[in-house]
Amino acid sequence: MEAIKYYVQGAFQGVKVTPEVLEQQEELIADLTAKVGDLVAQGKSEDEALGVAIASVGDLSVLVSEFEPVEELADKIPTASVYTARLDLHVIAISASIGAAVMIASTALGAWTDLVHPGAGFSLLAVLAAGILWLRGAYLRYRESPDAVEARDLVYKARFRKALLVWAGLAFGSILLNALTGTDFWCWPFWVAGGTWALTVKVEERLARRAEFIAPIPVPEDA
Amino acid sequence: MLLSKGGADVGDTPISSDLIRGHIDTIVLGLLSAEDRYGYDICRQVALLSDNEYELKEPTLYSAARRLEGQGLIRSYWGEESQGGRRKYYAITADGRQAYERNLTDWKRARRLIDRLVSGEAEKE
Repeated sequence: MEAIKYYVQGAFQGVKVTPEVLEQQEELIADLTAKVGDLVAQGKSEDEALGVAIASVGDLSVLVSEFEPVEELADKIPTASVYTARLDLHVIAISASIGAAVMIASTALGAWTDLVHPGAGFSLLAVLAAGILWLRGAYLRYRESPDAVEARDLVYKARFRKALLVWAGLAFGSILLNALTGTDFWCWPFWVAGGTWALTVKVEERLARRAEFIAPIPVPEDA
Repeated sequence: MLLSKGGADVGDTPISSDLIRGHIDTIVLGLLSAEDRYGYDICRQVALLSDNEYELKEPTLYSAARRLEGQGLIRSYWGEESQGGRRKYYAITADGRQAYERNLTDWKRARRLIDRLVSGEAEKE
């Protein structure tokens, strides 16, 4: 009775295969086979008997739920449908402002304490210009499609860790270059950029936690 | 006042499984105290004993059996190969017999008590 086997194995889909589960399946298959045999002996056709037996066993979901399910990692990643253009514009605006404020403050502090090289003002301007270009790009994307909606994985820990690693690498490289060239005005923007990237991850996480920019789940056109 | 839906059907419909659910363990122990049985056999005996008024479904039986085995009231073993594979037999243990006798006594006491309570005839001061 292959049909019984298929039915039982299908019902136990999504359950972790353990000796206990296999025994439960074997027991159910044997009992269903005995039941079908009984019904056939009472004069039913085999197909009819199979239908009656399966129907009379009823809902297997409660029994199945008593066993441990297969772990599905993919299902554990939380996703949300978000207004991506709006979210990105806000994230970049906030991160760029914080980054710019820190840079202006450190350059001012350096100038005040006479610790910066000449040329720091020039690289400050260059970095601020890059920041403005970055912000402009996000604004243009927002203007183009303000209501762009996309499903996003709400995973930040891994992204933040990666950003921090890149930032640490950039910082190390900058220090090395500064030391090698005996200058300090053209390398540090790199590690500022790396730090700002890590900052964007934190800003996005904060905004996502507050459930801002959550969009309704898109409905397929042909629905 | 007693609210019941479909009062005319009373007696025709299968008995409410809620009323029996709490006694499934005792029913299974009772059936096993005569002889070792496999799952479908237990379900069939319940249908016979109840004149098909109550149907013990296999999933319910398996859950009960696993519980009873965990409590050490029954044990299970695999029987000989038959059509459809090996059958899993259940046997009552000594603890199971004691539990069965205790449950039976409890049930008889409860039945007398509940009979008095639900009839509500003898109003006492």
